[in-house]
Amino acid sequence: MSQNPSDGFDPNDPFGAWRSIRDANLDAWAKNLSGLAGTEQFAKALGMQLDGMLAASAPMQKAVHQYMESYLAQANMPSRGEVVSLASRMTSIELRLDDMQAQLDEILGAIRGLAAAAPPVSAPPKPRKVAPRERP
Amino acid sequence: MTTTQAPDTAALTRKLYEEIERLGKGSETLARLATNQLNVPIGQTPRETIWTLNKLKLYHFYPQVPAEQRKPVPLLLVFALINRPDIFDLRPGNSFVEFMLRQGYEVYMLDWGRPGLEDAGYDFEDYALNFMGRAIRAMQRHSGTKTFSMVGWCIGAALTAIYAAMRPDDGLKNLVLLTAPLDFSDKAAGPFNKWLNTEHLNVDELVRQYGNVPGSVIDYGNKLLKPVENWVLSYLKLWDNLDNQAVVESWLAMNNWVSDPVDFPGAAYRQWIVEFYRENRLMAGTLQMQGRSVDLHNITASVLNVIADKDHIVPNCQSITAMEHFGSHDKLLLEMRGGHIGLMVGSGAHKRTWPAIDGWLAQRSG
Repeated sequence: MSQNPSDGFDPNDPFGAWRSIRDANLDAWAKNLSGLAGTEQFAKALGMQLDGMLAASAPMQKAVHQYMESYLAQANMPSRGEVVSLASRMTSIELRLDDMQAQLDEILGAIRGLAAAAPPVSAPPKPRKVAPRERP
Repeated sequence: MTTTQAPDTAALTRKLYEEIERLGKGSETLARLATNQLNVPIGQTPRETIWTLNKLKLYHFYPQVPAEQRKPVPLLLVFALINRPDIFDLRPGNSFVEFMLRQGYEVYMLDWGRPGLEDAGYDFEDYALNFMGRAIRAMQRHSGTKTFSMVGWCIGAALTAIYAAMRPDDGLKNLVLLTAPLDFSDKAAGPFNKWLNTEHLNVDELVRQYGNVPGSVIDYGNKLLKPVENWVLSYLKLWDNLDNQAVVESWLAMNNWVSDPVDFPGAAYRQWIVEFYRENRLMAGTLQMQGRSVDLHNITASVLNVIADKDHIVPNCQSITAMEHFGSHDKLLLEMRGGHIGLMVGSGAHKRTWPAIDGWLAQRSG
């Protein structure tokens, strides 16, 4: 079999040759595994893996949740649910503040527009200075 | 006749020496990597935060061209709810934001932030209309103009399309969709359609247990689409180029972004799987928001729909068929070379995708 550098094989570069073989192998693996990921069997296996994980963690999560609820209540501290509820209320307040700021900006813009469109008003007369009376 | 080229001892020795030298340099880089001394920050283009709401932030990037060269229509960048939006501004020299600033755009970027448990109830209506609507209002206030352009990427493209359909009179002039997952009618397209169907994924239990679906779970799913590329070839690329500072930095920047996933808000995730993937409601016109159907025919803005020929996350058919649903008279489908992310990052993006987007947008940003 003839070999020359134009075939992609350089006898003076064993590392390059090794890399080429490695890359070709990995490309083949990549194609096969990507193909496998698209099969119904793989989807089923993935679903079963997730179901198993969720089924295993559910009772533990429930127990930890119940324990923490009672512990936090005894320690006179807010539970996660209460903190979450508070944070939700803060977001609602933020939303209303944002709307108010937008309305305020609109009103200010309208006032500025009106002020710019209105004819200039002559300045009011200056109050006369009255000399203080001398005390007798 | 066959001939076999005999190895040249001098050449072999030279190659061996080169390899040892490369490994020497590489081990130094490897040591710096292992000890966290080599870090490449991302999202470096100077910016200011002009608006915040809950976890959301709206950034305005400081202009890089004189005022007279700037385009009058500002540009808002919207990324997906998962992963950070910094992919738009990966690193100096490889940043879409930087590129667009140099073309004279006034660039804004929406950051959805990291949802907490209190955000688990927010769905697409909240993100597309309640939150993004307010961010757009803040941008309009800041820029002083009502008209604007938007670039939405991945789920961000779905969100911007929903916004464009529901608020066609809000000043949106141009809509650029990047790898937009909109039409899920082809159930054989891509592994996600199989993985996420009713038989295999118990979405309700997942959301019930976690509240928000952990970013690591979403990231695992994305990587599982191409396991060898993501878990082997990616690291081999780094190993092979440990002596090449530019490649190492580029790899690190990308890795910083990839390894920083964001949780998917529970209600939005459930809606995404059930109403988008499984029931294809957006295309069917049965997706309801604020008491109305989301009808893509209501989109009046000019639309540029960009797809990537090697996109393994959003198959092209999920974007292409949506074209006929857009009500716009001015719409264009553009197929570019690259993958779901590679489309907008790297030298190919710099040479092809960014100039194409700019070329289309510039004509419509006067």
